[in-house]
Amino acid sequence: MKTKKILVAILIIGIIGAFVAYKIYNKPHVNVGDTKSDITLTANKIINDFSSDESIANTNYLDKIIEVSGVISKVKIEKEKGIITLKTNDDFGSVLCHLSDNATQKINLLKEGQTITVKGICTGYLMDVILVKCEITY
Amino acid sequence: MKTIYTILICFLLANATNAQERYLTKNGAVTFFSSAPMEDIKADNNQVLSIVDASSGKMAIAILMKSFMFKKALMQEHFNENYVESDKFPKATFKGDILNFDTIKDSETKVEVKGTMTIHGKSKEIVIPANITRNEDNILVKGEFNLLVADYDIEIPGAVAKNIAKKIKVTFKFNHKPYKK
Repeated sequence: MKTKKILVAILIIGIIGAFVAYKIYNKPHVNVGDTKSDITLTANKIINDFSSDESIANTNYLDKIIEVSGVISKVKIEKEKGIITLKTNDDFGSVLCHLSDNATQKINLLKEGQTITVKGICTGYLMDVILVKCEITY
Repeated sequence: MKTIYTILICFLLANATNAQERYLTKNGAVTFFSSAPMEDIKADNNQVLSIVDASSGKMAIAILMKSFMFKKALMQEHFNENYVESDKFPKATFKGDILNFDTIKDSETKVEVKGTMTIHGKSKEIVIPANITRNEDNILVKGEFNLLVADYDIEIPGAVAKNIAKKIKVTFKFNHKPYKK
């Protein structure tokens, strides 16, 4: 009787363990649209922060959900993904926003010169500050 | 990291007088694929910066590690935190020369690109085969090659050795356009 109880307990723990492991393995990606942004700023501010001290900017912005507002300088679609460029006062750099599939469908509503707010995940700085999985929040 | 940026900027400025000769893409694609007994892992990066100087055949590439998108969030987390340590080494770079650049015409030409690849803070000289098409409006560079994880001091713990290949297949495609500002 006692051994049976122990066996049942082990079995239950095993099932729970397997379930938890499966859940962790299949953990979904962050849903940018539903998550509150960590930082809200302008396109000028983020490019200035990255060009003045990249390593500090990396610690502040990388992997964070960031809302950036700015004026659109270019709208294009490449490989079925929308890419929006936000103007900055930096000579070389701009903010490149790679849109989510959802936001790409609404790309026709966007025009050059329009002021918008984009929410996305910052992955870093090359010539431009790059945001991925962006949603348009206006 | 500052030095990498400085190198890139120098590279750009060095050619500032001859703007027509500089070709660039900000949306280059790099994909890597690991095939192991337990699972296949694939990640895409469509935000790669690549510059070709058409007067000298020099090429410079910068890749943000955090821009690699995986199917599973957990894989992406492990890749960034445990393997490439992207907080410490946010970028991978390649800097080199396209060999026999002058022979490349308006049809796909097989050439080799020789240079230094830096991943995970570790630099290594490599030669990569590439197919390049060149005309007035663009320089298209594509190809694939294999990377050994061990060459870049990336350690894979024994527990997941069956999940991650030691040899990673990398595919790339950069469609450079003339750079004008």
